[in-house]
Amino acid sequence: MNETVKNTLLFAVVGGLILLTGFMQSWNAALLILNMGLISAIMALGVNLQWGFAGLFNIGVMGFVALGGLAAVLVSMPPTSEAWAAGGTGIILGLLLGAATVAAAVILHKRMRPGAVRVMVLLAVVVIGFFVYRAVLDPSVAAIEKVDPATTGYLGGLGLPVVLAWPIGGLLAAGAAWLIGKTALGLRSDYLAIATLGIAEIIIAVLKNEDWLSRGVKNVVGIPRPLPYEIDLQNDPAFVERAAGLGMDPVMASTLYVKLGYAVLFLIVLVVLMWMAQKALHSPWGRMMRAIRDNEVAAEAMGKDVTRRHLQVFVLGSAICGIAGAMMTTLDGQLTPGSYQPLRFTFLVWVMVIVGGSGNNFGSVLGAMLIWFLWVQVEPMGVFLLELVTSGMSDGAFKSHLLESAAHMRLFTMGLVLILVLRFSPRGLIPEK
Amino acid sequence: MSGNPYQDDRGNKDRSIANPRGSGTAEGARRKGKAVAAPGGPFLIGDSMTGGYGKGPNILHDCTIAVDQGEIAVIVGPNGAGKSTAMKAVFGMLDVRQGHVRLDGEDITTLSPQDRVSKGMGFVPQTSNIFTSMTVQENLEMGAFIRTDDFSDTMAQVYDLFPILKDKRNQPAGELSGGQRQQVAVGRALMTRPKVLMLDEPTAGVSPIVMDELFDRIIEVARTGIPILMVEQNARQALEIADKGYVLVQGRNAFSGTGKDLLADPEVRKSFLGG
Amino acid sequence: MDFLNAIVALTNYVVIPAMSYGSQLALGALGVTLVYGILRFSNFAHGDTMAFGAMVTILVTWLMQSVGINLGPLPTALLALPFGILGCVALVLVTDRLVYRFYREQKAKPVILVIVSMGVMFIMNGLVRFIIGPDDQRFSDGARFIISARDFKSMTGLNEGLAIKTSQGLTVVTAVVVVAVLFWFLNRTRTGKSMRAYSDNEDLALLSGINPERVVVYTWLIVAALATVAGVLYGLDKSFKPFTYFQLLLPIFASAIVGGLGSPLGAIAGGFIIAFSEVTITYAWKKVAVYLLPERFEPDGLVQLLSTDYKLAVSFVILLIVLLFRPTGIFRGKAL
Repeated sequence: MNETVKNTLLFAVVGGLILLTGFMQSWNAALLILNMGLISAIMALGVNLQWGFAGLFNIGVMGFVALGGLAAVLVSMPPTSEAWAAGGTGIILGLLLGAATVAAAVILHKRMRPGAVRVMVLLAVVVIGFFVYRAVLDPSVAAIEKVDPATTGYLGGLGLPVVLAWPIGGLLAAGAAWLIGKTALGLRSDYLAIATLGIAEIIIAVLKNEDWLSRGVKNVVGIPRPLPYEIDLQNDPAFVERAAGLGMDPVMASTLYVKLGYAVLFLIVLVVLMWMAQKALHSPWGRMMRAIRDNEVAAEAMGKDVTRRHLQVFVLGSAICGIAGAMMTTLDGQLTPGSYQPLRFTFLVWVMVIVGGSGNNFGSVLGAMLIWFLWVQVEPMGVFLLELVTSGMSDGAFKSHLLESAAHMRLFTMGLVLILVLRFSPRGLIPEK
Repeated sequence: MSGNPYQDDRGNKDRSIANPRGSGTAEGARRKGKAVAAPGGPFLIGDSMTGGYGKGPNILHDCTIAVDQGEIAVIVGPNGAGKSTAMKAVFGMLDVRQGHVRLDGEDITTLSPQDRVSKGMGFVPQTSNIFTSMTVQENLEMGAFIRTDDFSDTMAQVYDLFPILKDKRNQPAGELSGGQRQQVAVGRALMTRPKVLMLDEPTAGVSPIVMDELFDRIIEVARTGIPILMVEQNARQALEIADKGYVLVQGRNAFSGTGKDLLADPEVRKSFLGG
Repeated sequence: MDFLNAIVALTNYVVIPAMSYGSQLALGALGVTLVYGILRFSNFAHGDTMAFGAMVTILVTWLMQSVGINLGPLPTALLALPFGILGCVALVLVTDRLVYRFYREQKAKPVILVIVSMGVMFIMNGLVRFIIGPDDQRFSDGARFIISARDFKSMTGLNEGLAIKTSQGLTVVTAVVVVAVLFWFLNRTRTGKSMRAYSDNEDLALLSGINPERVVVYTWLIVAALATVAGVLYGLDKSFKPFTYFQLLLPIFASAIVGGLGSPLGAIAGGFIIAFSEVTITYAWKKVAVYLLPERFEPDGLVQLLSTDYKLAVSFVILLIVLLFRPTGIFRGKAL
């Protein structure tokens, strides 16, 4: 069996699994899996760019995804004019002051001679800067958060079409990645992994706490959609008629229509990104990247600027995660900072990349679809399995405990899949060529 | 990408997750073979060994080296001749695909390196031959790891042989000078009271004066009755003190004989001793 | 008098909580650093190993409580701890045998083991949630305080109370004992020295007749014990929730790296540095300021530098600053 046939077959199997869901459960469920699978595939592409191409260990995927989500809010939600009036200028001034403090500290650090004096000056700048920043920011924050806290209490967004948020989410993530990469890759030894782990937690903490920005744990709901609402479709006689023509009930038809619409949008983004990633992989840039990955010392000796290349690829990969994050928030229609968890948004994406095949874009997409399918379906399968196991048992605390715990089978399964793949097919399902 | 998917270098530079420091390269640590009686022959012999690292190509081809009681045997040869590899093969740190290693009337070809240590072999590698983060005394104690008896006598003997180590015994070995480090390395190997001592370029990277002193010490050790098998870069000097010499070229025995014979052999002189 | 009150307030709200949190982080970081030094990878499953050990301890504690075994003023969990350690040791050794050993035989690069440990993390996480559930569990009993705030006030006549929870006292004492035993073991015993030797130079350890597999087993034994102790102490002090233990990974890694990965002394120092900076920066200083500043300067706000939700951010910033100035950590992260 040649490679193309094998790979096509693998994709067909995953497609078949999703179709099976459609036939056995519901088409809505199947489309939900497909949509999140496509978004996961984009995240996996981003991580594959970093890990597969360049060997950069990014365990802060969650942070970049969340930044994308923030972009969706900032771009598409209507601005809260009252809040802007109450504290908009204060916030902007405060943020500028904060940025100025950091910039001043960095410049001083570069310009001054190392020594006790520099440390004292830097400390003074940072401490004074921090208090000034808080003094300017805090009253504005309080004022903004007082504006109708039940529904807004934040600055709102720009009121632009939500699709614009996708590239902007990418840019936001790229900016954050540049800052982290500049710091962590510039250190004498490489500490990227722990840096990304930390920054992701910080981004989530900011989203949870800065209510003026993202309403924190009060969540932003009702993010505008790029597609019509189901209820509008159901009230549209033309749509109802067409649905009837297909022999479908209008409620069902409208939900499927919207989900299919998302699927098409996501597929377009995925195909574009995939095409770019493939181009990059086979370009001289991609070859150099892999050469650096496989032997950094030799690449450095040949005059390659390894740190710069790493920074490039790190920023690009993170931007892709940001795009995926914005798309996900669009699909959900809400930003819920409390729902971002590293197991789901960082380590699960890693499982996707490793299982699919690090260094192979098609592998990442396949891994993402397959793992996402498992992530969704293991839970009902676990319930089924445990019901089967416990069917012979008499009712009691033990039995109900087992049945309740079925939901936690999915984490266990993900770990098992990862370990089995690493053991028996260490290069993944579709290995790098 | 390397052949073994588990040995790709991807991502290993990240210090916050991967620690390459001190990782081992030696193979055969998991070998579970037993020694088989095989009387006769020299005290230690690597007999017609053929082998290489991992699944890689053969580096040694039908190579034989041996040392007998009370002797110093020296392996010399050009760079890349497989001298160190031959030593490692004798010590079981790579797979000998053909041929045998015998020690004191036993065939030990299938023994793991650590089992060979308990059989009485002592080995001083060329590089990374001390525990840099441990004190001199701890280095010696680790040398005596397999001994369950009281080894303070042996330690005193090592301190007698290398007096400078006694003064520095509570210093981390990594802070010592090159020559002192080599003394620690040899001292560590002597702590097991080995029946045979193998030295891989003990004078690499030390100054000529220190080198002379090290050679003196090695002769002193040999006089206590421990046979010594040694790889040396400084061929002439080494052959002068050798009872037996082996010249390796590309993993094969090119010449062998007593040290004096080899020094006198015009061909050896021309090719390896610079005339 | 005001000055004394300020000191008491500071001790009560900053020093004591930071001491106990620091001890817990130090114990966790020691485990991470041992794995890093000897098995040469950062173990992402460490937080979940802690959770597993704590979980077994909790289950045994409940069993003991239900049959009426207790330790009087001390928490019953202390009696259950050895069982927790045994359970954790069993799990970790089985994991090593089934998972990690294969990669050692393959001479896999450390980063592969890191990814493998991610898989182990998922499995252990699932296991813990499967057995005990994802919710908060309380298992502390015995006396709640060594000194309660009221007793302290009546004893000293100060306005400010000083409370030391039993769990806090226990944490610090246990941590000191465990660390002392560990250092004695590593520096004085033959096995401990062989572990340091293996960490320093694997090949030479082999040449000295040190059995690598035995070193690895000892390492896992110690790591499991440390993880269980850390997990139980954290659970007694706060509460047990599987997700929190997973979240502890960042501060624990930060501690280990700040101190210098691979250095046990560094792990301890790192734990306290991280704990103290987290607590000081997220503490509302008003209480202390009230006593120290003249009345008209009294602050209106809480004088809290950052909200407590940012404590992870604090560990991270400390980490960055240390790495900028000392790329190998405070104790130069050498071998054990």
